[in-house]
Amino acid sequence: MADSDEEYVGDVTEDEDDFPVARNDRTRSGKRKQRGGAEWELSRTWETLVEGADGTISSTVEGLLEAGKRKRLLKDTTPLQRGIIRHVILILDLSQSMSEKDLRPTRYLLTLRYAQEFVREFFEQNPISQLGVLGLRDGLALRVSDMSGNPTEHLTAIQSLKIQDPKGLPSLQNGLEMARGALFHTPSHGTREVLVIFGSLLSSDPGDIHHTINTLIGDKVRVRIVGLAAQVAICRELCTRTNGGDETAYGVALNEQHFRELMMDVTTPPASYSQKQSASSLLMMGFPSRTVEARPSLCACHSKPSRGGYLCSRCGSKVCSLPAECPSCGLTLILSTHLARSYHHLFPLMNWAEVLWRQASRSSACFACGLSFPVVPPEDQWQVTETHAKGMSVSSRYECITCHNHFCIDCDLFAHEVVHNCPGCQSNSVGASHNESDMPDRMDTTV
Amino acid sequence: MNSVDASEHYELGAIDLAPSLLTVVIDTNPHAWAALEDSLPLSKAVANILVFINAHLACNYANEVAVVASHSQKAAWLYPVPNSTSDREGDITMNANGAPAQMNKYRPFRVVEEQVTRRLKDLMDSTSSDDLKGNTSTMLAGALTLVLSHINRRTIAWAEEHGGASLEDAADSGAGSGANRYSASNDDERLQSRILIVSVSGSSDSAHQYIPVMNSIFACQRLQIPIDVCKLSGDAVFLQQACDATKGIYMALSEPRGLLQYLMMAFLPDQRSRRHLVLPTREDVDFRAACFCHRRVVNIGFVCSICLSIFCEAPPGGACLTCGTELDIGEYDVKPALMKRKKKKKKPANGTSAAGTPVSTPTPGP
Repeated sequence: MADSDEEYVGDVTEDEDDFPVARNDRTRSGKRKQRGGAEWELSRTWETLVEGADGTISSTVEGLLEAGKRKRLLKDTTPLQRGIIRHVILILDLSQSMSEKDLRPTRYLLTLRYAQEFVREFFEQNPISQLGVLGLRDGLALRVSDMSGNPTEHLTAIQSLKIQDPKGLPSLQNGLEMARGALFHTPSHGTREVLVIFGSLLSSDPGDIHHTINTLIGDKVRVRIVGLAAQVAICRELCTRTNGGDETAYGVALNEQHFRELMMDVTTPPASYSQKQSASSLLMMGFPSRTVEARPSLCACHSKPSRGGYLCSRCGSKVCSLPAECPSCGLTLILSTHLARSYHHLFPLMNWAEVLWRQASRSSACFACGLSFPVVPPEDQWQVTETHAKGMSVSSRYECITCHNHFCIDCDLFAHEVVHNCPGCQSNSVGASHNESDMPDRMDTTV
Repeated sequence: MNSVDASEHYELGAIDLAPSLLTVVIDTNPHAWAALEDSLPLSKAVANILVFINAHLACNYANEVAVVASHSQKAAWLYPVPNSTSDREGDITMNANGAPAQMNKYRPFRVVEEQVTRRLKDLMDSTSSDDLKGNTSTMLAGALTLVLSHINRRTIAWAEEHGGASLEDAADSGAGSGANRYSASNDDERLQSRILIVSVSGSSDSAHQYIPVMNSIFACQRLQIPIDVCKLSGDAVFLQQACDATKGIYMALSEPRGLLQYLMMAFLPDQRSRRHLVLPTREDVDFRAACFCHRRVVNIGFVCSICLSIFCEAPPGGACLTCGTELDIGEYDVKPALMKRKKKKKKPANGTSAAGTPVSTPTPGP
């Protein structure tokens, strides 16, 4: 364990800002109201460290590590109705205040870097959505890149901002009006969202911003703001009112890590609150197959000769790229893989339950990767080890509540974050609940 | 964290490139193999695959291999076997069999061969004819998920041993950024993993696993693990998409008897070598999807605008079967309005008949 020292430092600092948030997740919005928006609270992480029997804190540290991993994945698995076809405008503050160096290297450069990461992650999670980028500089709203579904366009546009300097004052109103204009014509079955990265404490507006807020509400645009300095009353009002009273849409970054988390939260498709907010409809779509022809022919979209392309599944005309609307018959053509990317939101994998020592003897190794679990200690030691951090399993085993197989923490993490499949459920066709004997016991372990 | 340590760095510079992990998914669906009996029986195919695995192991002393069988009702590990006393088993069985012919065989070859054949035999013995009745599919999604879990485990373990690049990623993610934890960075320093699927089943059999299969494919895409498909029979819509998405090789063998030749020539090079090769791949890709309602493979579908579920026909009652939203069906699937055919009347007796039959206003109902 040459690296144990390093990890210890790294992870305790992580806990400093993560733990209180995790603990207060439910009461979060209520508390914030009382405290006037201050999101942090003093946490004494050193007090949670308990010396083990051997006089070291390694067991506690390992526990914290595992609990940290676990916390990340205990997501809400309720299948909410989410707006998957999204239209998002990202507004970046490019004003003077962004040259502050309280976020390293500067607010400006960090924001641009995270904005690029955001674009990538956004299209990873929302492949059929549209994004546009605006900037606020010199009291004007600046069009950085137009609404499009192509991530590389946005990335290059944001990249080109890096050679410029932040300048002047921002105008929130101008930015919002321009965003509203860009979102105005978007179809009603998609969402309309604005994400503002706001580093200033003021907004120099040409008119009444409250009027703009009212029109935003009328156009069903939801605004989320990530503040970099301190909470600003108008931002708070803006977020609260455009999100139907939900205050969590406004967050002020505490540090670089928190800033990133706040931004990346937006990549998850938002839950739809009311049935009538979006007119849902059944869309007819074609899933064309890619063909390569022996000799070039003209494509229907640009009239350019090409050999490869996609043939419309209804009328057979050739288009060069997807997603597109068939120029001759008007059918929406889309890659089925684009749709399939979002299905794990639809059918989320249930969180796995912790396994107490009582049930642990059923397995000796992880079902998926074959990693050996710690052996079950004698019964009288069970209580001693059960004082670990919440959310982690005493026996290092995690049980899928459908197929009742046991997995290790790494497979748990991997299954929930990357594959979105349960290795156990997928490997046996009929659920294969062959060990029914300890069923009643198992019921009380599922928290 | 090791990468912070200076001494580790020097070692890193000295070692050669990372070894590769080959994972083979063998589709052992008995129905499909029975159809191939004349040209390539399963036993022969397994022998060919074992030769191929040996070739892979011989490329680099540190190369690794894993084999999973995607059977008709379950997916099972063939090698390495979890929950067992691991490598030692090779010795035991050899002593039990007392086969002197095996004595001079390179040990890694022998261990893999013995375990795979034995586990496959166990798997076949445990399959009863009842299991096969009315079940012609194969557990491809399960096999892929198992394989991915194994790759994940091996990548973590390898990075811990060697202080490779992915450890840095893991350290990053320890600070909370789960997103880029799995996005692969400098790939030369990671364990190079790839997946080879030897597939025999048709695609319509696996349509009910559409979502899990696609989930696995996206996971591979994210981890930059190529999926190679060696198709012996049938067509595979989703596997074509898998190869296309992960930049793997798709080959449908016209002559299954030449399996070994194809494997050796097309599938043996690892990712690093592939950069310099012109690969046999498929340019026309079937991008059809499976509908959620009848598990049909369709090329035109109805998509719910809320949850993007695909239906092959407008769902009854206009409610989405997945999310339950009332959907505005619109003008789809509506027969063109029929004009009432005018009755030909021979005698133009009344001038009024042209405007339909002028009847008296119907009696209002009670």
